[in-house]
Amino acid sequence: MAQVPVQTIHRDPQLFYWILIPITVVMILTGVLRHYATVLMATTSKKQDLPAIREQRALLRGINLRMNANVISAPSFQARKDYMVSNYEAGTFLKEPEKKGQAAPNPMTDPAAMEGMMGMMKGNMAMMVPQTLIMGWINAFFSGFVIIRLPFPLTIKFKSMLQAGVGTKDMDPQWMSSISWYVLCIFGLQSVFNYLLGSDNAASQMAQQMGQMGPGAGASMFGPGVDPFKQFQAESENLAVLAHQYTLEGVEDRLLQTVKV
Amino acid sequence: MASSLLHPPLHLPPTVALQLSQQAPALLQSTPSSISPYSVSSIWSAAESAELWTIYENLMVSCLRTGDEPSAHLCLQRLTARFGADNERLMALRGVFQEATAKDDAALKTVLEEYEKIIAADPSNMPVTKRRIALLRTLQKPTEAIGALNQLLESSPTDAEAWAELSDLYLSQGMYSQAAFALEEVLLITPNAWNMHARLGEVLYVAASSNEGGADKNLSESMRRFCRSVELCDDYLRGYYGLKLTTKRLLKDLATNSRQSKSETGLPAPDRKTVERLNELATAKLSEIVRRNLNGEKGWTGYEKADIIAAQELLNRDATPIIR
Repeated sequence: MAQVPVQTIHRDPQLFYWILIPITVVMILTGVLRHYATVLMATTSKKQDLPAIREQRALLRGINLRMNANVISAPSFQARKDYMVSNYEAGTFLKEPEKKGQAAPNPMTDPAAMEGMMGMMKGNMAMMVPQTLIMGWINAFFSGFVIIRLPFPLTIKFKSMLQAGVGTKDMDPQWMSSISWYVLCIFGLQSVFNYLLGSDNAASQMAQQMGQMGPGAGASMFGPGVDPFKQFQAESENLAVLAHQYTLEGVEDRLLQTVKV
Repeated sequence: MASSLLHPPLHLPPTVALQLSQQAPALLQSTPSSISPYSVSSIWSAAESAELWTIYENLMVSCLRTGDEPSAHLCLQRLTARFGADNERLMALRGVFQEATAKDDAALKTVLEEYEKIIAADPSNMPVTKRRIALLRTLQKPTEAIGALNQLLESSPTDAEAWAELSDLYLSQGMYSQAAFALEEVLLITPNAWNMHARLGEVLYVAASSNEGGADKNLSESMRRFCRSVELCDDYLRGYYGLKLTTKRLLKDLATNSRQSKSETGLPAPDRKTVERLNELATAKLSEIVRRNLNGEKGWTGYEKADIIAAQELLNRDATPIIR
């Protein structure tokens, strides 16, 4: 079997100093800059006023009562249930009691919801703008350069990944183009940012992606567009049909059975 | 030692608090005097950690306890430099500092007025609202404190800490059924808290001891609460102590009047045999705990000295008539 001769391309060593290092340095600096830009732009989450807190916690109290009803005696539970159900039905816990029964407000017109969306926009912009700019900068100045040769062999499939912007058919996939180096930097600098900025930095994309998924789960309960009065009604129904079983019933026999001296 | 600075210092014995605050000057010197969130130097210096601020906060409380006011003030200054003077938590901490350094009641009253000013500007400021209630209690105004606490719980009914405080206040005023109600609310939030079950048992026992009329129903309820607390936590000294007290009382009551009244809680009164067995169990367990603790056996040394002494005393009180 004939040995495939190792491809050698004579590169100007200056390529290394004037393309590879600048791209890497610029990427790191933008990451750091983006971190501080995000920190500066971040709006502190707006404080809720007392009626809003009350509305949420009244609902939570009902849920707690339903979940843990068994720890209190039947008369205590009955009294609390009657109180919660009648207040839920009357809408006394609502932020704006006179507005009960009206349709939920459009989240687009709610200023509180708009603020949240603006915050997300800002975060996305901080990601998008610098990436677009750097991509353009690399395309304008460094496109078409082959800059390094990876020290390990690769199969042909990697050609499109590592040689973006270089349309040569026969070149070994070990050779890497400048744009591919940029793409590699985007994903590979994660640990560098972790080292420089701490683990919860805003430059890392992972955190951003998680952030977009994360709060959705928690916020949906009280999020914009959910009618709290409907939630109260649902909760009062849940409470009304609950079968109560007192934990202290027969506790002394249970204890005598389990504990042996 | 720094690890114990990460826990709230409220229940530390005085010696540990003193030890902690004696470290304060060294600790304050070793940490950088100011850390700002945007400084350039934070790129190469170690990133700030959340623990540092917890340490500062706990250190401040320990220092105030032991009278090291300069160190406490330094902690407060650094926290203020980092989080700003209008941070809610810091407002409360500053209040703690002012309360601790106040010379007399008049000075405390000015602090109270300051709290009221803050709350009037922002009614949703929970930490300061709680400080105000604590200060009202310090100033011997329990009824006002109860009113303020009820107002707080009206808007934030899922706050277990506040419910527990309310129960304590009601108990100090002798309003036992209200105290029990507040403790039931705590249990609804933390259903498996054995110390809260035992606490409710204690409140019910006190209620049963104070009024003669409806005593028996409170007593059997109290006994069941203690049963539940030791069911949730093995070898819980307070639970067994209460169990022994209540069963002893119940046995005496059952002997004097044999009528079985159905209690208010819907559960029948326990029969005599069960109560006797429970009493024996509690006595055996208590003496086991005391014996093992005094021998210093491994895993049995975590009890508080005062609790052990009380348990010993209870056991001796019971044992004497038998000898006689």
